[in-house]
Amino acid sequence: MDELFLSYIHGNSSLHRLDPRTKLVALMIISVLLLQTFTFPKLGMFAAFFVLLAYLSGVSKRVFVRSIRPMLVFFTFIFLMHLFLTEGDPIFQIGVIRPTFEGLMAGTLITTRFVLLILFASLLTATTRSTLITNGIERLLRPLPLKRIGLSSFDIATMMSLSIRFVPVLLDNARQIRYAQIARGLDTRHNMFRTISTTITPMIRESVSTADELATAMESRCYQGDFRTSLFELKMRAADWGVLCGISGLAVLSFV
Amino acid sequence: MIHINNLSYQYPDGTLALDSVDMSIDKGEFVALIGKNGCGKTTLVRHLNALLTPTEGSVSVFGMDTKDKSGVWNIRQTVGMVFQNPQTQFVGTTLEEDVAFGPENLKLPPNEIRKRVDRSLREVGLLEYKTHAPKALSGGQMQRAAIAGVLAMEPECIVLDEVTSMLDPGSRGNVLDTIQQLHQSGKTIIYVTQRIEEILPLADRIVSMNNGKIEFMGTPHKYLASVESDIPAITNLMRKLKAKGFDVRDDVFAVDDAFLEILKACDKRKTETSDNG
Ligand SMILES: Nc1ncnc2c1ncn2[C@@H]1O[C@H](COP(=O)(O)OP(=O)(O)OP(=O)(O)O)[C@@H](O)[C@H]1O
Ligand SMILES: [Mg+2]
Repeated sequence: MDELFLSYIHGNSSLHRLDPRTKLVALMIISVLLLQTFTFPKLGMFAAFFVLLAYLSGVSKRVFVRSIRPMLVFFTFIFLMHLFLTEGDPIFQIGVIRPTFEGLMAGTLITTRFVLLILFASLLTATTRSTLITNGIERLLRPLPLKRIGLSSFDIATMMSLSIRFVPVLLDNARQIRYAQIARGLDTRHNMFRTISTTITPMIRESVSTADELATAMESRCYQGDFRTSLFELKMRAADWGVLCGISGLAVLSFV
Repeated sequence: MIHINNLSYQYPDGTLALDSVDMSIDKGEFVALIGKNGCGKTTLVRHLNALLTPTEGSVSVFGMDTKDKSGVWNIRQTVGMVFQNPQTQFVGTTLEEDVAFGPENLKLPPNEIRKRVDRSLREVGLLEYKTHAPKALSGGQMQRAAIAGVLAMEPECIVLDEVTSMLDPGSRGNVLDTIQQLHQSGKTIIYVTQRIEEILPLADRIVSMNNGKIEFMGTPHKYLASVESDIPAITNLMRKLKAKGFDVRDDVFAVDDAFLEILKACDKRKTETSDNG
């Protein structure tokens, strides 16, 4: 996967310094608002807001472009679906192929919305290290009665950071298994189902032993699954409350 | 500080991995635990921090019985453990976060965690890499990171289970240097290995296991004197010289010692031949 996809870019901007909880809540509010936006002028306002924040963050444009890139196929697909499958005035017609003006509008609207969602999300990940994101989520989840389903907010946070740490390792293992098999003459590159089945068995075996060793290592470093502290202290400052008030204000305004 | 009394351990599947083991480890000692594959080294050391508890007999660490559930976290903080695979014991997304994992579990306040993380990373010589992701670290650096992660919990004793077996020779040397420094700073070290050469110059005591039992316990020199095969190249050379009539000790393993012994033997020969002639 691309190195810069949703990755943290070290910096010390005002956005970097905001508490992760502020940024998480702001992202949630912005996402809800975005999904309720049906006009181009309003989308334009969101885009302008993004550009302003991106400028403030000091993160280079490249990072954002890279965040969009892996999703391009998906965006194109959504756009074409709307273009060809929406009823309305045809732009032209060749047989059953019949793009419509309404489809063009809807497709553009929806893909822009998704692009903006990803951009705002990448703004969060680019200005917040992943530990702080998980810590922030942990703090936001802490008041919930998760005990009833046998979990603690700390478990969830640990699971999330372990996923961030180990998903790339497991993907890497899968790639090595594939290469090892190709090197031994088991070339399944043209048969997707065989690739999946021949890769998955060793991969599961490997993942189980990885998980086992990991659990032992964590236990011997006193991991208990309940309350733990953190190297990074979360602290809501005046700026955080300011940002939250501002965004909530916008939200209220846009609903009336 | 660690007392193992008549310890036997049977895995749930019936394998008897340890058979009446008795042993004590003093504070500040460097003990090397050696033996063939499957002889029970890992099983033994996992009893030292209560990852496993005895089927029979007992293990006590600083007076705490490992069977006593309430003392488990205290024992794990006192006896830190480093494992073989660098990848699967690195839990953080960056080096400093990984080292912080233990202190975070000990519920220390952030400023104390920060102090310990920086101190431990400095001790293993990785402070400048503290914001690096695991991908940017070599196997040897990751093992030293694992040592730092244990140090940050301020243990009395550190157990290392074949920590160099997945490393290239260069990194192996760095890791061994780090371990030697820890020993010199007063930590008790229990080092499990299959490579006898790497540990002979460092260990105070060699414990050799076979089939779940302790076979030999004593100083490196005594150990060498007691074994026939599986000896370091230098010791082997000295034995051959001795067999040819040279008057050398055959329980040395360090290049410098061997060099002195050979020089002495040669001088002796010279004087003998000149006396005769
Ligand atoms: N989880 C387990 N379940 C059942 N038997 C086990 C388990 N782990 C180890 N054993 C068995 O217990 C015996 C001792 O194993 P142990 O891992 O302690 O040996 P070791 O000296 O550490 O070997 P190595 O040098 O390969 O690491 C072996 O016969 C092994 O097959
Ligand atoms: Mg072992």
